[in-house]
Amino acid sequence: MSRADGERILLWTLPVVGVVWLSAFLLFPGFVQPMSPTMSAEEVAAFYRDPENLPRIRASMILFNWFAVGLIPILALIVLQIRRMAHRTPIFSYSLLACAAGGPTIFLMANLFWLLAAFRPTRDPQLTLMFNDLAWVTFSTQVGFLIAQSVILALAIYLDRQQRPVFGRWVAHFNLVVAALLVPAAFAGTAMTGPIAWDGLLTFWVRNIAIGVWIVVMAVVLARAISRQRADEAVAA
Amino acid sequence: MSDSAAGTLPEERSGSLLRKVAWHWRYDEKRELWIGWWTLVVFYNLYGLLFFVITRTQPPPQPSLSPAEIAQWFADRHHGLLYGYAIVSIVGGATAVMNATLAYSMRRMSVSRAFAYSYLVIYALATLPGMLIMGVVCSVGAMRPDRDPALMSWLYDFAFLSFEGTMGVFLIGSLVWMAAVLLDENRVFPKWFGYLNLCNALTEVVVAPAWIFQDGVFAWDGEIAWWINMGVFVTYTTVFLTLLRRLILREDFGTGPLPELSQ
Repeated sequence: MSRADGERILLWTLPVVGVVWLSAFLLFPGFVQPMSPTMSAEEVAAFYRDPENLPRIRASMILFNWFAVGLIPILALIVLQIRRMAHRTPIFSYSLLACAAGGPTIFLMANLFWLLAAFRPTRDPQLTLMFNDLAWVTFSTQVGFLIAQSVILALAIYLDRQQRPVFGRWVAHFNLVVAALLVPAAFAGTAMTGPIAWDGLLTFWVRNIAIGVWIVVMAVVLARAISRQRADEAVAA
Repeated sequence: MSDSAAGTLPEERSGSLLRKVAWHWRYDEKRELWIGWWTLVVFYNLYGLLFFVITRTQPPPQPSLSPAEIAQWFADRHHGLLYGYAIVSIVGGATAVMNATLAYSMRRMSVSRAFAYSYLVIYALATLPGMLIMGVVCSVGAMRPDRDPALMSWLYDFAFLSFEGTMGVFLIGSLVWMAAVLLDENRVFPKWFGYLNLCNALTEVVVAPAWIFQDGVFAWDGEIAWWINMGVFVTYTTVFLTLLRRLILREDFGTGPLPELSQ
């Protein structure tokens, strides 16, 4: 069993994690029709108290609680590819490693707030509203680590000056586009309606689809880089 | 700024800033380090602007405000909090590059890699209590001005106590850096900088009473818990940015002692 075999095993955990995430996303009744920030405290409390919704909220958030960190092994594999790039210092691989824990930790904070709101739905509706706000604002606005991740990766690729770079330059361009698509979501707190609101086109749909596409594209280019590395090592051996 | 291998490279372009940047991007061997250093400089300036001017959350308000006064406090800075912390969310991830650059200083020392790795992980964690939680909580406080003032008061405490009262990451982080500087034989930083790290660590000790007092010098807005600490932090940051710049100028990409700057 070579090192690359172990890396392929880590890589193949991604489709599993992806299926779980997608199922949890569809299961949570507040995502498919994203909850509006304009809902009153009574409406938000009724959403959590609804006997149809409550088990789905809990089950989906427990799934996210289990699998939110599932992306970290994939980020670790990207860190290893950055280390193969023609750089003078490990600054880019260190930077990406520092980002790797950030995104999942933020998502876990949002997850805790959702689960807290669902734990005692009979609480004062003002409290349920506050936990719901904390969950949605954390989930929507905290795009900083994801933006940094893409920008760092793009810089690392642009500065990978060797005959056969680890990733093609288009991967860097792609990462910059993804980073730009995540920016509007940071402003979710400023609007209760419209595309910037947390249920809006830019903040909810564009951002979440951009994250999904990033995961799929990076998984494919990563798989190709790893298999090429494996072929190179086999020749060298 | 650059001292790349002389002679073999085209001369550094003079002229516009853009042309200079382009030259460094193409030819400067130390470009990764300069990217890290400039990220630090730009970020700390932006951090000051965002916290002191745009959100007006620093210097901190009194912990002893009544719930009605706290609701008014949020109302007074409604747009500042919402837009300011939106920008904090966008640039917050830059801390990863900053911490990586500081960790690199420890990697260049003669000490174990464990110092660089500990510092990197501790400060990656520090970004959350250091600003992101405060951003989320202040945004939630600002977004619904009609929220029950009793809950506004809880959000206010959560924001300022997570920000001022999360001490361990900065305490242990500074001590790791201190130990690395004192043990280092590569002369990456002067030894006195090790002791300055100790000063920064001690500010995290004296801030602990902010969890207990709502008034006086030890409260989160007090002379000791805030003013002295901010003074030390600004000095510390200015000093390490200067020393880090010297490190980059002296860097020879070797593993032995760093050469001194000629002149």
